[in-house]
Amino acid sequence: MSKQQINDAWYPKPPTYNRIGSRRWRRLLVVGTYGGWLLLAVIMKLASTPDSSFPVIPFVPLANVVVALVWFGRKTYLGREVLAGDFGLDERLIQNRNQAFRRAFQFFASFALIAWLLSLVAMWLQPVNQGLTNAILLFMGAALLGTTLPTVIWAWREPDPEPLGS
Amino acid sequence: MAPPIRNRITVLRAERGLSRQQLADALGINYQTVGYLERGDYNPSLELAFRIAEHFGLPLEAVFSRKPFAPMSSQLYRKEESA
Repeated sequence: MSKQQINDAWYPKPPTYNRIGSRRWRRLLVVGTYGGWLLLAVIMKLASTPDSSFPVIPFVPLANVVVALVWFGRKTYLGREVLAGDFGLDERLIQNRNQAFRRAFQFFASFALIAWLLSLVAMWLQPVNQGLTNAILLFMGAALLGTTLPTVIWAWREPDPEPLGS
Repeated sequence: MAPPIRNRITVLRAERGLSRQQLADALGINYQTVGYLERGDYNPSLELAFRIAEHFGLPLEAVFSRKPFAPMSSQLYRKEESA
């Protein structure tokens, strides 16, 4: 037997669509990605000047990409391809996924409404570049929530996996 | 929240020496869903309930119930005494 085969026999891994990871690490990932994004956005905003959108653009959109890649790149059934369809999910997981989408929509709809109003105020009342920078920040935040919130909610709520072979 | 549906999946699985993963593979569901079903944390759809009953070769009411099941041992002993 090869080393890999021996290792797989001692530490069996469920197939991708059965994997989820521990709840503790998933919650840490939520705090890390969203908290990190927020921290970066605040720092970039403080570092920007009234005359320019740099460094909000390009670093905040880049942070969006990184956070999305982190969540969609994990080899678990919470990944995007699974969220996009029912493949690999049984009825319980479909129910949980649909519930995550519902909760995400409820939160996102309220956030988007407030963000749009605030960005309108920012662009109308503040000087051109500053207002644009603030509006872009709000838009990026809304875009991040819109793309990752269902996955994040599901990752936060799903309990620890049970050990294989029980 | 819907009242839990009781089931005998744990007992039936143990009788047949099946692990959760094996039962899950046979039913085409996630192995954690088997755990949820056994604990009563998840009520199966009618279709899944029928599939589980068919897998064990038993009628639906022998596997699932809205009321708690009587212990199998007391049912068996009562049957022998009455026989």
